[in-house]
Parts: sequence; structure tokens; C-alpha cells
Amino acid sequence: MTTHAPTSAPRAGSRPAASSGTRRPTSPRPGRKADRGVGERPSAVSTGILLLGAAYCLLPVLWVVVASTKSGGELFSTFTFAPSTHLLDNVGDLNAYRDGLFWRWMLNTAIYAGVGAALSVIVSAMAGYALAKYRFRGKTVVFNLLLAGVLVPGVVLAIPQYLLLAQIGLTNTYWSVLLPSIISPYGIYLARIYAAASVPDEIVEAARTDGASEARTFAAIAVPMMLPGLVTVFLFQFVAIWNNFMLPYIMLGDDKLFPLTVGLSGLLNQGASQPALYTLVITGALLSIIPLVGLFLLLQRFWQVDLAAGGVKA
Amino acid sequence: MTTTTSPPRTGTTRPARRTRRRLAPWAFLSPAIALFVVFLALPILYSVYMSFRTEQVSGLGLGADSRTEVWNGFSNYAQSLADPEFLASVGRVGIYGLLVVPTMLGLALLFALLLDSRRTRARGFSRISIFLPYAVPAVISSLLWGFLYLPGVSPFYYVFDQLGWDVPSLFSSDLVMFAVANIAVWGGTGFNMVVIYTALKAIPSELYEAAELDGCTQKGIALRIKIPIVVPSIIMTSVFSMIATLQVFAEPTTLKPLSNTISSTWTPLMKVYRDAFVRGDLYSAAATSVIIALATFVLSFGFLRLVQSRAFGQEK
Amino acid sequence: MRLTTGTKVAALLATTALLAAGCSSSDAGDSAGSGDAGDSGDTAAAGPVDLTFWTWAPNMEKVVDLWNAENPDIQVTVNKQDGGDPAVTKLLTAIKAGSGAPDIMQAEYQKIPTLVSSDALADIAGNVGDDVASGFPEGVWNGVTLGSDAVYAVPQDSGPMEFYYRADVFEELGLDVPTTWEEFADAARTVNEADSDMYLGTFSATDAGWFTGLSQQAGASWWGIDGDAWSVDIDSEATKKVADYWGGLVEEGVIDNKPMYTPEWNAALNDGTQIGWLSAVWAPGVLEGNAPDTAGTWEMAAMPQWDASAPATGNWGGSATGVTTQSEHPEQAAEFITWLNTDQEAVNALVKEAGIYPAYTPAQAEALAEPPAFFSNQENFYELAGEIADTAGSFTYGPNVNVAFSAYNDAFGKAAESKSQAEFLDAVDTMQSTTLDDLKNSGFNVSE
Repeated sequence: MTTHAPTSAPRAGSRPAASSGTRRPTSPRPGRKADRGVGERPSAVSTGILLLGAAYCLLPVLWVVVASTKSGGELFSTFTFAPSTHLLDNVGDLNAYRDGLFWRWMLNTAIYAGVGAALSVIVSAMAGYALAKYRFRGKTVVFNLLLAGVLVPGVVLAIPQYLLLAQIGLTNTYWSVLLPSIISPYGIYLARIYAAASVPDEIVEAARTDGASEARTFAAIAVPMMLPGLVTVFLFQFVAIWNNFMLPYIMLGDDKLFPLTVGLSGLLNQGASQPALYTLVITGALLSIIPLVGLFLLLQRFWQVDLAAGGVKA
Repeated sequence: MTTTTSPPRTGTTRPARRTRRRLAPWAFLSPAIALFVVFLALPILYSVYMSFRTEQVSGLGLGADSRTEVWNGFSNYAQSLADPEFLASVGRVGIYGLLVVPTMLGLALLFALLLDSRRTRARGFSRISIFLPYAVPAVISSLLWGFLYLPGVSPFYYVFDQLGWDVPSLFSSDLVMFAVANIAVWGGTGFNMVVIYTALKAIPSELYEAAELDGCTQKGIALRIKIPIVVPSIIMTSVFSMIATLQVFAEPTTLKPLSNTISSTWTPLMKVYRDAFVRGDLYSAAATSVIIALATFVLSFGFLRLVQSRAFGQEK
Repeated sequence: MRLTTGTKVAALLATTALLAAGCSSSDAGDSAGSGDAGDSGDTAAAGPVDLTFWTWAPNMEKVVDLWNAENPDIQVTVNKQDGGDPAVTKLLTAIKAGSGAPDIMQAEYQKIPTLVSSDALADIAGNVGDDVASGFPEGVWNGVTLGSDAVYAVPQDSGPMEFYYRADVFEELGLDVPTTWEEFADAARTVNEADSDMYLGTFSATDAGWFTGLSQQAGASWWGIDGDAWSVDIDSEATKKVADYWGGLVEEGVIDNKPMYTPEWNAALNDGTQIGWLSAVWAPGVLEGNAPDTAGTWEMAAMPQWDASAPATGNWGGSATGVTTQSEHPEQAAEFITWLNTDQEAVNALVKEAGIYPAYTPAQAEALAEPPAFFSNQENFYELAGEIADTAGSFTYGPNVNVAFSAYNDAFGKAAESKSQAEFLDAVDTMQSTTLDDLKNSGFNVSE
């Protein structure tokens, strides 16, 4: 922060998301391993605190795992963390519910979150690149307006969006959930940061000098450089769509189109004259978390969210 | 830029290229702008429009054509602002925010520093564990915590019971705020930890080596070097967390049927939901949401300025 | 599908301009399609008619399969909904938007005035035979006509309230089944004295329908139609009597104050700390789902009475099936719902698959020959239920039941939490004023 460094030189080397996205965050910094052991005793206190935090975060997850092994009666009668043997029965029951509708919900969720996030990445990357790499009139206004989108909560937007899509009969279709999910102010915000940090002006300029078109410069040069950051945007938006409840809840009437959140919450809200299907919901919650955990583990190294690129101007 | 002299291969003249370059950002922005207009701007404008309208019923209100939409001036706004339940919900969210944001970010910073410390073990496991709740939708996490809260089924209360302690229910009016706040902290700490950790990873290691040579302890490095450097990240996460706090909805809504203490207007957005979906009064719901959005805007205006000066200062 | 969608997306961009200009969305009420994913149900003459049916009754598709097999020209598709409230919320949004509603809709009785007031349910008086009406109890039929000449739905099931109790625990404690509310209060005290964790019941501030039924039993009718005006009479003596009674028991601590339908309540049913439940005829299904291991220990009896010489009960739950105003085939839809709710085969299937208590009297004897499986120990279950159902008083719902019910949740939630009898009475006043003010503010004619 002491000196105003040129945009790319020192930053390129220091920002993982920018140029060295392949570096695993868990791997020690160069030269560190060698130090270990010299005044680097493992600290029981730090490890303890961190494990305590991990335990706090895992506790409800552990609960789901245990609870999903219980039968309907056991869920409410045996000790909370005493496991039982009915996991397969519960999965079987869930599988039998309305002819395997649960798997359809899984698939729908994958479509909404996967396709929605992919499209969102494309839109965000283009917008972020434009905002970071061009100087033009109205840039600040456009950026502020786009960003102002985060101020308006989804609950508020759901009804007007419904009325709008109803005008052309798109409600109760995949499109009604997909289309509104593509625009993400956060995604654009992040993409702008990644573009600013990872695409040096000199390279863009050089491409232009070589006669590459603006679109080609973006697609062939900027996108590969932004890629690690864009994976983060993808994951970010994937989780956002995955968590979104209000939009599909309002838009969809046909339960074959439901994503998991809406479907599972429906199993809970059966009305007074039906028992809530707790065992199905809990088993469903467990099964729905598994693929996401897999995705997280697989793409772990891309979870590098730099919200304030100005942090490293040393 | 102006010294570029290489002749354009395709025969495009220089002014044409310049025009294209002037249009290029707009071309890149067009999908985002189009989607923004359709799915954010128009719904917002429509909400604003509705906030000045209301529906008048005639007679018994039964049968077709008994309802007409009319202009209503600022009445919806006046009503919202004068509604003691709304003001109470705003106050509640204020306290909730003061509880959640510092706790969540404090924990996130602590965990990020521990992850970054060479003396900590089990880092990979802890990192993914703490991040995991981010993947659990609020609707589901609230249900899970509900099970862990309710004295009749909670393992904690089982233990308290064995110990002979009489611990009041987490859903009693004194504690329900903590019950809701805990779910938000649980779900949000991991994400913020990753943000701060990313910033920490970006610190060049030469900086530490220098500090270590100067005889700085690990704690000293954390306090004097690491924390100051991640301050911008913390500011950003604070602002985003604040916005999320003002929009808290899913957690209390899911917990509501489990308790007597979470009313239908417990948070401002719950009031919006109740007015729009339970009472069928889209108009006053729209007015309340406009008020919430404006308040959020005012609160985050400073943040927007911050973004401009801090994050994008280097583009100038 | 793919082609039309492309056009639709283009149309989307075009219509946004209209919307921006403040285009009212209240047109297109009847012209818009049945809105199910763009099915082409244009001409009734050509090809079979496709109808969509929003319902939350479990296994409804199995009942509908019977119809579809025999009626190739009128095919019905079930869209399962979340119970009660969410389905209505969605329907009203679709009505407001002018498209997206199903053809056929399950609706609880208390929602019918709201739906009619929003012009969501079509009048099918012309499509339902006169003989249909005579098969339903008068109170039930009134619920779908709102006292007018119109018919907005065909009743499906009803929920006369009854008292469910753990016969084994009663025997252990030497308790008799309470026949009056006074006896119920004494029994509650005995139960709680025997074990301070054990309760005869709970006062649930999250179940407005339950409290409504209790008030109905005491003689309340919260709304009324007075010529051309609505009246609101929530704070009547009858409701106050009920609130006062429960407030007293909660303050005394002999009745629990926690909501029903929570995991905690389920656990209490399982471990025998909730040994009674004032519920309705559909209770066996809920008890079986929540506490399967207590099978054979429960019995059902009539509600405790305020006046033993004039037995009465209230209703909790129950629903009817209506045709929405957006349906392009109201005639065929009406034909289907009449079959669904009055045909013997259909009613048998409803009882067997969905576990409902049918409202159509002529079909009851055959459909209800066996007691519910969970109550196989009580051979005369449905016989008794039928006698109890006959004692249900009449009750009129208004067009803003949701407002009253959400006021109930908030006001009684506070009262139950404070365990103060006085606050229970205040809560009734709050409900009255909130409901009345809402009607007035909306512009309804209201008589006071």
C-alpha cells in the first residue's frame, strides 16, 4: 500500500487466483517446509481451536448422517446421536416416493444450478472484462447500477418476475427459474476483480496490435487468464442458485420441475392432516449434500474468493 | 496506445477500429444489461409502481369485477413507516446484525489465521469442514438446527438434563435471537474464512521472512502484518454480510412453526412476505420492500464508494 | 417445445416494455391457457382434454388413474402441492398474473371465500347436478356456496373434531374419559400431577385452524354476511370463553404451551408425555406417521362439552375441489370433480389411498366399513365419528381468513409464551381488531 505499483507486475506473481491458480492453497509456501521443526512446533492450542471450529460446523452434518439411519419412530425416541440401521430402508422409501420423484429433483437442481451458473459465468465474464479493461463513458454508472442489484432481495423480486414471465406463459417451466438466475451482480463484481487482476493491459494491447478483434482478444487471451477466477464465479453462482428457494417456489406448480429445496420443504409442509415426512426429508437432505461436498472437494483449489483485490499492493 | 502503427491486416481503417473499440465494452456488457433490465430493473420498477397503488374491493367482494386497482399516493409508505411491528422488526434486525456480523467475521478471521499458521495441524480437514455449511441451503440448515435446539429432541438438552441443569429453551423470547443468529454464523463463517484466507495467501512470503529475521513471533506477525493486510477483505465481507443480514428471511421463517416467539413480522422481509403472500396485499408489501431497499442502499452507499477507491483504484 | 420457447424468449423482451409502462395484468382472465407448460389444449372438440389438478392429498394420482383409465377424452394430471397455504398462495399469484393456474384446485373450506373474492374459483352451479347437493350435510354444502346460488367447489372431506387419548395411560392413572371441559381440566391436572413432564394436551399457537374448531364447538362463527356487508365476530362470548379456559390451564401449567407438529411434539407423542390430542377425524394418519410404535394404545372419543345436554363439535381441516377461472374446460373439470367426490369407487379409493374422511354421506357406509388401521382396536371408530360429525355447528368464513389466522399465530404465540390467562383474552381482541381493520382498509362493506 506504500507504493502505487503498476497494475500487473508484482500482483501477477502474488495473487493465486490471478496467475497461479494451479497452486494448491493447502500446500505450504515455497521455503516453508524446510523451516518446519525450527521454532515451528505444532501448536496444540491453534490446532485445538481450529478443530473445535470444524467440530461446530460438522455437528449438524453428523446429526443428519445419524438421523438418516433411523426409522420414523426411532427419530423421535432414541438418543439423538445413537445411530440405527435403517438408512437403506429410508433411501428405499425416498426412492419410492411418487415413483422416484426425488431423483428428478436432484436432476432439476443440477440443471438449474449447473446450466444457470455456466450461463452466469459467461455473462459475468464478459461484463467484468468490459468493466475492467475498457475506459468508456458511463462505466461507473453501469457498474454501480449492476451492483445495486444486490440491494434488492429475492423475496421482493419473485412476484414481479412471476407477473412478467406469466405474460408470455413461461411460468411453470425450466426457463422461469433458469433465466432470472443468470444475472448475478456478485458474479459481475467478482469477474471484474479477476479481469483487472489477471489480464495485464500490455497483453490486451499486444493482441490488438496484432490485429486481433476485440471478441477474439477476450475469448482467446483474456478468458484463459481469468479461468481460475471464473471457476470461482461458477461455484459461487452454483451455490447461490442451489440455495435459492423463493424463485422456484413461486414459479413452479408442477412438482416434477421442483429443485431439491422446494421439494424437500414440501415434504415437511404437508398440512395439518398429514404427518410431516421427517425421515424422508432428512435422508433427502443427506443425499443432496453429498454431491455438493464432492464438487467442493474436487474444485477445492478454486475456492479463492478475492473480494478486495486492493489487498496486496505492498 | 496512440503509437500503435502496425497496419491493420484486414484493411480496416483506424477510425473504424476505434469505433469498434468504443462499442466493444457495450457489446460485452449487453447480455448482462439485457438480463439486468428484464429480471432486476423491470421487476424493481414494477414494485415501485405497485407501491403507489392499492386494490379497492366493493361490496362483499365476492365474484368477478369486485376488485379495482387505484392510485394510493404515499399511503402504503406512511402505513409501513407507522407500523409498530415493522419498526420492531427493524430494531430486531439491527441487533441481529450486531450479533451476527462481528461474530461471523471474527471467527472467519481467526480460522483463516490459524489455517495460515505453520504451527496448526489438520488444516485441510478443518478448512473443508468449516466451509461445508456453505453448501447447505438455509431451509435445510434451519431444520437441522431446529432439531438440535428443541429441548424435547436436542442432544444438548439431554446432556443438560443428565447434569441436572435447568437451561431455558433456545426458543424462549430471550434466546431466540441467538438461535437464529447461530444458524447464520454457522452457514456464513466458512465462506468469509475463504475470502480472508485468499487474501492471506497472497501475502508474499518474503514479508514474513523479513519479519522473522527481525525476531517477530507468529502472533506478532499475525497482528502486525497479516491483519492489516487483510483489512480491505474484511471490510468487503462486512458490507456483503450486512446486506445479507438486512435480508434475513429463510432461517426465521423455517424456525417459525417450531416456536411461539418468532412472529410473522419478525424481520422486515418476513413482513413483506406476510403482506404479499398471506394477506394478499402486494401493494403495501411493495412499499415496504422499497423502504428496505432504500435503507440497504443508504447503508451500503459508503461501501460503493469504498469499492471504487479501494478495489479498482489501480485501473485509473 | 424448443422452437416455441425461442419465440417466447423473444416475446419476453417485447412484453417487458408493456410491463414497464405499468400494463395491468388483470386482463386475460379467461383467455389465457390452462398454463401448464404450454400444453395445447385449444379446441375441446379435437382430441382429449388435458386437465391439471393441484392437490396435496397423498396418493391422489392413484385415484386419478382410475378416472383416466375410464375417460380417455378427459385426462387429468396431478401436480402435488405443499399442504394448504402454499398452494393457495401460488394459485392467487397465478390468478393475478392472468395465467399459470391449474384447471382444478383442492382448497380448504376456510380458503374458499378468499379464493372467490380473488375471482379464482369458477361458479360451476350449471355443471353440477342438483342431486349432488343433497348428498352433503347442509353445513358442508354452505361452505362451497357461501350461502349464494353459486357453487364454487364440490366438498371432498370434512374434519369433525374429536378427542384422542392414550387409553393405556388413562387406565394406569385411573382416569375416565372427560365428557365436559371441566372434567378435561381435572384430568389435565391429574396427568400433570402424576408426572410433571406429562401433559394431556398442548395449546398450539401455530395451529389457527385448531383454535377455530374449538371456538366453533363453543358456538362461535367468526364472520357473517349481513345483507350486503360482512361482519366480524371473533371477540364473541364463545371465543372468549375458549381463550379464557385454555389461558387458565396454560397459566396453571397443567397444559403445555408448545406448538404441535414440531419434532418435539412428535417426540412427546412417542415417549408418552403427550397423552391426549384434541384433533379431527384424520388424526389416525398423523399419529401413525409420527408415533408408529404407539399403535393400539390410542382411542377416540367425542369432544369434551361445554353443555353436556347439547353435544357439539367443531371442524378442523377438510377441503373441497374447485374449478379455477382460468380453466378452458370448466365443464369437463366439473364432471371430474363430481366423480372424484361422489362416485362410490372414487370415494373408496380416496379413503384407502389418501386416508380422508369423505364428506359425501351416501358413499360413507361402504367406504368407511373398516376402522383406520392404526385404530383397529376401536371397531366402531367410523360409526362414532359419524355420530360426532352430525353435531358440528355452522361456521362462516370470511374473505380474509389468512389475516385472522396470522394474527392468531402472532397474538396467541405471545400469550402462550407468557403463560398468562389475561393475555389469551387480549389475543382474541387483537385478532378481532386486526381482522376488522383489514376488511375495512380493503374496502369491503363491513357492518359493525
